[in-house]
Amino acid sequence: MSGLRAQGLTRRFGDLLAVDGLDLRVAPGELYGLVGPDGAGKTTTVRLLAGLLRPDAGIIALDRGALGYMPQRYSLYGDLTIAENLTFFGRLFGLSRAERTERAQRLLRITRLARFHDRRADALSGGMYKKLALACALLHRPAVLLLDEPSNGVDPVSRRELWDLLYEFVDEGMAVVLCTPYMDEAARCHRVGLLHHGRRLAEGAPAALVAQLKHPTLRLQTAQRDAAERALATDPAILALSPEGEGLRLVLRAEDQAATRARIEAWGTLEVIRPDFEDVFLALLNDPRSVEAS
Amino acid sequence: MTTEILAVALKEIRQTRRDPRTLAVLVVAPLMQLILLGFAVNLDVTHVPVVLADADQTAESRAFAEALLAGETFEAVAALPDPEAAAAEVIAGRAAIALIIPPGFAAALRAGRAVDVQALADGSDAQRAVVAQNTLTAFAARWSLAYSAATGQAPRFTQAPVEIRPRVLYNPTLNSRVFFVPGVAATLLLVVTLVVTAMGLAREKEDGTLEQILVTPISSEALMLGKVLPYGLIGLFDLALAVTLGAAIFGVPLRGALPIVGLGGALYMLTTLGLGLFVASAARTQQQAFMGAFFLILPMTLLSGFMSPISNMPAWLQPLTLLDPMRHMVEILRGVLLKGASLADLAPQLLWLAGMGLTVFTAAAVALRKRLA
Repeated sequence: MSGLRAQGLTRRFGDLLAVDGLDLRVAPGELYGLVGPDGAGKTTTVRLLAGLLRPDAGIIALDRGALGYMPQRYSLYGDLTIAENLTFFGRLFGLSRAERTERAQRLLRITRLARFHDRRADALSGGMYKKLALACALLHRPAVLLLDEPSNGVDPVSRRELWDLLYEFVDEGMAVVLCTPYMDEAARCHRVGLLHHGRRLAEGAPAALVAQLKHPTLRLQTAQRDAAERALATDPAILALSPEGEGLRLVLRAEDQAATRARIEAWGTLEVIRPDFEDVFLALLNDPRSVEAS
Repeated sequence: MTTEILAVALKEIRQTRRDPRTLAVLVVAPLMQLILLGFAVNLDVTHVPVVLADADQTAESRAFAEALLAGETFEAVAALPDPEAAAAEVIAGRAAIALIIPPGFAAALRAGRAVDVQALADGSDAQRAVVAQNTLTAFAARWSLAYSAATGQAPRFTQAPVEIRPRVLYNPTLNSRVFFVPGVAATLLLVVTLVVTAMGLAREKEDGTLEQILVTPISSEALMLGKVLPYGLIGLFDLALAVTLGAAIFGVPLRGALPIVGLGGALYMLTTLGLGLFVASAARTQQQAFMGAFFLILPMTLLSGFMSPISNMPAWLQPLTLLDPMRHMVEILRGVLLKGASLADLAPQLLWLAGMGLTVFTAAAVALRKRLA
């Protein structure tokens, strides 16, 4: 079985087109990030892939017997302990007692949950809970793992540990689809798809997408940051605008940047800077062709 | 398949054990209700409150009243001289019968003339009024015969040429508790198994755990069997306890083979547990599941013939009661416990339950799969 493949994935909720003809291909050992703001269709996509929703159109090819899924919301038995949750899901995946014990011990060690093994899941902190949920999803060594905003509500240390655990399994050949609204997390994926209103705006390795951004990114140094932001917010030639320190960070439409720069320089001094992944994403929301086709 | 069913069942047991409230709902509440309902649901007419207005005040009138009140059926709550005041007691609800003995009662008897004793009955409780009326008529006839014999008069009341001597089978004393306790047991089993499974599955939906289960390779049939298995066993335990308590406290006989009750109970619960799952697969929250279960329980109880005989229902309604699993369970319980019915006697009821159980269970499994895929 080679990873996951989906073609023309479409799902409506009433009038809302949540996922619109999405193609997706994730190879074994690949960490794929579905990135987008809330409401972009990330969760719907993952639920379609997990088989929890029926697509209105499209094909999904993946081995359901080797699927791991970690939903965004709570999904473990709060009145069972860490060990009991692991045992239960291990049994459902048909693992033998020996396999269960060995794998659970390894996962508990990596997640540093071992000494809490008899604590009830609803008494765990947000980070510990997510680590347990990930451990439950990894217990049967899935070939494909679906993660819906895994680090939502997780402290930085636990987040680090979640990622370490994830990389370990990806290195062993697991294909991962991970949803996240956080650009720093997206930057850690091998490949990302930027999702907006159910459509993919761009796809590629984060570094490649940054390199392919055809619009310039600039920083404006100004004494009147808030006034400048209000004045420039509606400028159609400015594709992205976000406060950064005392100044503003902007992506300008390449085609008419000379005129735009002149308008902006009325507020302060401009310098060209290296774009980051978030700039790419924000620019794509306004101009779907911000990234030169590779 | 077996491993998965057991995994789910073990998880359910573990969760139930950890939740004393569910455990109480499953075991303690049914037993308390059995005892309370067993005492409360009772159609035997005894201790009917009587207000006596004896306008005659003679040895005869007092003997008549004393003999009447000596039985279990009537109980004097007041003795008033005035018939109007006695009637007022009935209207006020303090007495169910006003017995008015007219002046000249003794004189008429001594003269060998007929005399009317008036009984005003409160008809708002029809059952009690009818029983009281019949008892009074029979008593008056008996007493008159005895009076005639004692005073050496020619009896004014002779035995009728044709007399029906009823002999009541299975429940010779017409003790209504013996009749009702099996019905109460079937009701409790329905309530416990339906509500607990409906709420249990709805809770998995609410908590998101169902989604996690559904991405595992477990089939929806295995999931459902695992979920209901522990509650089925608890239900059988409740049933055994109900039969035992019914015998010990209410004197419900045990004339037939208990394994038939066990088999009937198991098949019955296949339908009630299946209905619970069905309700839960349609509900999104535990509240919705509870409401759904509640709306099923009332008609199922009313149509079961537990309270009122099915033969009294309108003709169009009677065939519908065949679709009520509780009807069959009540018949099985009454058949085995009271009549000593055999497996062959109860084959139709058992087959109905088996058929409905499989249908409901399959439908619930399909509904669950549909909802989530």
